[in-house]
Amino acid sequence: MTAAQEAQPVTQAATASSSVPLISLRDIKKSFGSVHALRGASVDVHAGEIVALVGDNGAGKTTLVKVMAGVHAADTGEYEIEGQPANIRTPSDATSHGIATVYQDLALCNNLDAVQNLFLGRELTGSRWLGRRIHRAESEVRAREVLTRMRLGSLSLTRPVGAMSGGQRQNIAIARSVLWKPKVVILDEPTAALSHSASQQVADLIRSLADDGLGVVVVSHDIHHFVVNSTDRIVVMRLGANAATFRSKDVTGEMVVNAMVGGNEGVNLAG
Amino acid sequence: MSAISASAAPKRRTFGELLTSDLRALPVVVALIVLWVFFALQNDVFLTPRNLSNLLQQSTVVGMMALGLMFVLLVKEIDLSVAAIHGVTAVLGAKLIVEYGVSAWIALPVSILIGAAIGTCSARWVNWVGVPSFVVTLGLGLALNGIQLLLLPATARYGLMGTGVELIAQTTISGLYAWLAWAVGMGMLGVLILSGVERRRKAGLEVSTMNSVIVPLCAAGALGAVAVLVLNANQGIPLPVLIFAAMLGIGGYTLKETRFGLYLYAVGNNDEAARRAGIKVPRIRMAAFAIAGGVAAIAGIIASSRTLGVGVFSGGGVGGGTLLLESIAAAVIGGVSLFGGRGAIHAALLGALVIGTVQNGLNLMGVENEVRLIVTGLLLVLAVSIDKLIEKLTGQQSF
Repeated sequence: MTAAQEAQPVTQAATASSSVPLISLRDIKKSFGSVHALRGASVDVHAGEIVALVGDNGAGKTTLVKVMAGVHAADTGEYEIEGQPANIRTPSDATSHGIATVYQDLALCNNLDAVQNLFLGRELTGSRWLGRRIHRAESEVRAREVLTRMRLGSLSLTRPVGAMSGGQRQNIAIARSVLWKPKVVILDEPTAALSHSASQQVADLIRSLADDGLGVVVVSHDIHHFVVNSTDRIVVMRLGANAATFRSKDVTGEMVVNAMVGGNEGVNLAG
Repeated sequence: MSAISASAAPKRRTFGELLTSDLRALPVVVALIVLWVFFALQNDVFLTPRNLSNLLQQSTVVGMMALGLMFVLLVKEIDLSVAAIHGVTAVLGAKLIVEYGVSAWIALPVSILIGAAIGTCSARWVNWVGVPSFVVTLGLGLALNGIQLLLLPATARYGLMGTGVELIAQTTISGLYAWLAWAVGMGMLGVLILSGVERRRKAGLEVSTMNSVIVPLCAAGALGAVAVLVLNANQGIPLPVLIFAAMLGIGGYTLKETRFGLYLYAVGNNDEAARRAGIKVPRIRMAAFAIAGGVAAIAGIIASSRTLGVGVFSGGGVGGGTLLLESIAAAVIGGVSLFGGRGAIHAALLGALVIGTVQNGLNLMGVENEVRLIVTGLLLVLAVSIDKLIEKLTGQQSF
């Protein structure tokens, strides 16, 4: 038997652990005018698990992620958080339910340093009468604690992030997402435009989040390296719906690509 | 957690990096020193206390305008109506006092509030309709010029002699009172620095007493003391200069220490990131425009106090004239980026001093006004070019 024949797509139920998923989206539909971006997509994310969401351009993965993050509200479908129905309609709804998102553009302010970026929008401040003076020292201590816990203690806290490397910037964006102790972290293309070594470092960092008990959802096009080697489960989307689900350890990049394009498993699409 | 290969330890910042960040003001300071040495060699009067006091007074109005404008530039917008706000609010205040007999204590705050309200209107238009701020404020500026002309009487001028407004420019704080003002300023700076240091100590962070306390306090104290000595050798600290100094202090605190200040920089660099972080971006923009409008009105009051009246010429005349251009130039020469998110409070002071020095020095040399405009324009281009060259040579982007 070839490897391709051995690894058949599995159902989500089969791959999921017996615990209640941290987040569960069922039969999500979302249209933009006449365009049906999602036609009944589903995904579960469990604690300690890294789920890769893959698909060709227009497959609906970004829309699904935006529904998870509250950027778009689903037209129909169920959204449950730890088994309870949740009404997530804005990004702040998602944040308040413990869902943090790291966007592909990282949403960092290049002119601010790491501490300022980590706390942006949630600064530790003093009295209103002093114009909400920022408590820089306390913020710095808290930032250092989080970065050290993530093995990023050597990152400069005072350099503008615009002067940092792509990998360091990605790390800061991820650190910011976990600063407020979320349950689930969603990462959109975390390794895009990074060197191989920087990608590996980011992959290790993402694994450390899952090891800490967080649920992690990753959207990535880096099928052959990052998705296959650094995630636990791969949800393949095609035309706005689920096409297949694999255990990452059981598949090769070619098989995932085949599922993405709906092609023949025997054809090598690795390029 | 799984192990991650340790990155290199934080490096000491290179001179190039410092030039594009903490030492961003160094080229302007050097330029200012060169200008002062040049004009001192050309004319013995230049460095006399009387002339330096004049120079400071001349720089005050442009400095204030640049200070207000800086808040708008930081959020990557521009307000081309600040000179018109300066003019129309000054004329309105004068009209209330002269024609309607309103007390200056009421008329002047009303002018400032109207200035801030005009700024808020511009920002609302920019936020809601999405028209670029330079178009909105260009049109608004012209409209305000028209209103200014309508507000003026047939004589096209309101004299302010005897109204109390003239006292603002004529008042000086001299002798011991000048030193008292210096001591109050130093005391406030000291409390600010020491409270920050104490917080760091309590948090268990390393603090260098030399770099964090002694150097900034001694530098600020020495600069302030020299200024007081020079001004006391003439007639003391002119009240407009003291007001400008207080505005610089409040502005500096706001930009460097407060949440609002941080948000100005964040919005200017990446408004989408700021929005996703939960910052109310339209509100921050609106506050920036309101500050620019209010500060322009304060500058208008100071200017009308110096000229003992208001008229068509207030606010630089129709279109803002050199007042508008010099205000923008002062902010940019001082180091504020037209592309948002970069600039410190000293930019307004340094930029205004450069422009004031050129004006004052060339006047003393008997050079025509036309040449002064040419030199100021070239200095603006030179300042931005030096900034770009530093970025190119060091490979660092200025932040």
